Parts: sequence; structure tokens; C-alpha cells
Amino acid sequence: MMNMKLGMLTFATAATAVVAAAGCGTAYPAPTQRLADAQSANRSAMELGADKQPDAQLHYKLSEEQIAKANVVLKDGDNKRADMMLIRAKADAELALALAKEAKAKQEVQQATDLAKSQTQAVQGTPQ
Amino acid sequence: MKTLTMSSLGALVLFAVGCGSTVPPELLSARTAYDRASKGPSAQLNPAGLHSAKETLDAAEHSFDDDGDSQDTKDLAYTAERRSQAAEARTRELLAITQKEDIEKATQAYKDSKGQQTAAELAQAKKALATTSVQLENEKKNREEAERRAAEAQKLLAGFATVKTEPRGMVITLSGSVLFASDKSELLGTAKTKLNQVADSLKQDGRDITILGHTDSQGNEDYNVKLSQRRADAVRQYLISRGVDQTKVKAEGKGKAEPIADNASPEGRANNRRVEIVLGPKTEGSK
Repeated sequence: MMNMKLGMLTFATAATAVVAAAGCGTAYPAPTQRLADAQSANRSAMELGADKQPDAQLHYKLSEEQIAKANVVLKDGDNKRADMMLIRAKADAELALALAKEAKAKQEVQQATDLAKSQTQAVQGTPQ
Repeated sequence: MKTLTMSSLGALVLFAVGCGSTVPPELLSARTAYDRASKGPSAQLNPAGLHSAKETLDAAEHSFDDDGDSQDTKDLAYTAERRSQAAEARTRELLAITQKEDIEKATQAYKDSKGQQTAAELAQAKKALATTSVQLENEKKNREEAERRAAEAQKLLAGFATVKTEPRGMVITLSGSVLFASDKSELLGTAKTKLNQVADSLKQDGRDITILGHTDSQGNEDYNVKLSQRRADAVRQYLISRGVDQTKVKAEGKGKAEPIADNASPEGRANNRRVEIVLGPKTEGSK
């Protein structure tokens, strides 16, 4: 799917360049779906604690900033630039989400290790 | 798509790249990030994530080929780098999940094995406890039997002997008139019957035994000493014949030297004519 999108993006970029070079004008569609995708990914990252997790925090903030900038650029009518910003925003949000999930999984490993230690010690300490 | 793009932009590409664009740092970073991810465990554990990163990197490379150091190239490279990093993060998450499951399985296995071991040890402990209980019960029975026999001995000795605990030890005092005829040192038949009970008690006792013969003050002193010695010896020999350890028994004639009553009265003299069996402190190995 992404390949298709990127392919189309590349094609659109190329087409725009070609058309611009030809001296004609055509409207770049407003990236409404891309905006929704980026916002959704950003929310998911936040729900997983990416806004508080040290490794994920930077990418979560970058995602937020790029969505905000994309909205400004959209108002200015530069749909293409906004589209690319949203692609970046979504990538940062998804990285933040992945890092938050990784941190959570590692935390659970630590908890399992601690629990294993306490349980094995409890078993060893059981009067026999 | 590449062919289409290339064919559509052939002249433009040749113009843009032909001038020799510098590879933007975003693309360099993206290549490095993908290279690292593809050489790690993601290739096996997260091929889908890696594939997505590769597609984006390819798009960035094409963009660079087509447009050189353009904003699109930088944006695509930026995205490709994030996707490579996300693929690695997802792989590390999967590894952590597996590790957690392994720990939980190992812990459960340990607890199960320990539980079985504990159950076996508990059964063994119960068995040992049962054995000990039987031993304790047997010891209790033996002790009660010994106490019963001791009480019986005390009962039999009543009227025949007195038992006192003194600083020199336990003293069993036997009346001379019960043991011997006047001026004799041979035990009377009835005395032997009574002494049997004493002998049975002494056999089980580990203490040293001293048998002391005493007389009253009448008669020749030397004679009295010898008479008391013979009487003490007679009691000793009888006790030994009844199984008392001879190495623990000694006999001594005291004559009239240690009266316990006034020799002026017949009753007092009767009390002074006596044989004492003194049980000293228990020696090692005694019961």
C-alpha cells in the first residue's frame, strides 16, 4: 500500500514537474486521508505512552509539530508540501509508537525477572 | 513505475542529476539505518517492517536519481530512516516478548519441579516422623515399665528397709535383725527373698555400691568390726550372685563406730545393728 502511495507520490511529483515545465497548472489534491492517518498514528503513540517515554518522546513531538506545520501549509494552499510533511509526521508517530511498545515489553521482561526471583526464593525458603 | 517516471522525466532528470547532486545527509542516514536493520534479526523476525522501510528507501533513491537533492528526496529519506528504526524497535519488542514468555515458562517449570520435590520430601519427613513417634512411644513404655518396677521395689522394701537420700548418696538401710540371726553372718532365708528385689533394682543401676556393716556398742570392738565386715561381705556376695556387677560393689565393716541411735536402749541398739547399701553418684554409661 505504501509502495503504491509512494509510487503515486513520485508519479504525481514527476507529473507536476512535467506539467509545470510545460507551463500549465493543475491542482494537487488536499491530503485529507494522509492528515487523518498521521493524526491517528499520533494518537495511538500517545495512548501507548510515547509522550512520556524518553526514547519515544522526541519522535512523538516531531510528529505533533509536523502535523501542526502541515495544517498551516494546507491553509496556505500548498497541498503537496503538506502531504510530504504528513508522511514524515506519520513515520515519526509510528516510530514513537514502536519505541513505546518496545519500552513496555522490556519493562515487562524486568517485571517477569523480578517476579521469577521472588517466587523462586519463596519456593526455596518454604519450610520443608 | 520507475520506467514511467524515467520516461516522463528523462530530460529533466538528465538535467538535474547530470550536474552531479550531492547525496543529502537524510539519504545517507536512511541508507545506514536500513543497512543496520537488514543485517540484524529483523530480517527473520520482522520482514514486513523491513520491507516497508526498503520500499521507502527505494523511493528516496529514485527521487534522488530523478530529482537529485530535492525536498522530496529528503522527505522520503527521512521517512525511510524512521521506518527502518521502527522495524528494529518492533523486532526488539518481539524479542522482549519472547524473553518474557521464556522467563515465565522457566519459572513455572521450576515451581512445578520444586513442588513435586517438596511433596516427596514431605512424604519422607512424615515417614521419618512416624518412625520417631514409634521410637518415642517405645521409650515411653520402657520408662513407664522401669518406673513401675521401681515403685514395686519400693513397696516390697517397705517395712524391710528405709531409703534416704543423703550427701554421700542414696542410702538403703536394712535392719540387721531381718538379715541375720544374732551373732551370725549368714543371710536368713527371708532376707534373701527381700534382697532379691534389691538386687534387681541395683542390677539396672549404674552407680557404685558400698555396703556398710554396722553393730551396736555391745561386745568386743574388734569382734564387732569383723562381724560387721562378714555381714557386709555376705550381702555383697549375695547381690553379686543375683547379677549385680561385682566391680561396682565393695563391702566394709564399720563395727560400732557410726551409730544412728542411742545404744543405751534395746530399740536404739536394734537400730544400730544394720547394713547400709550406699549408692554413689552415677558413673558414665549408667542407665
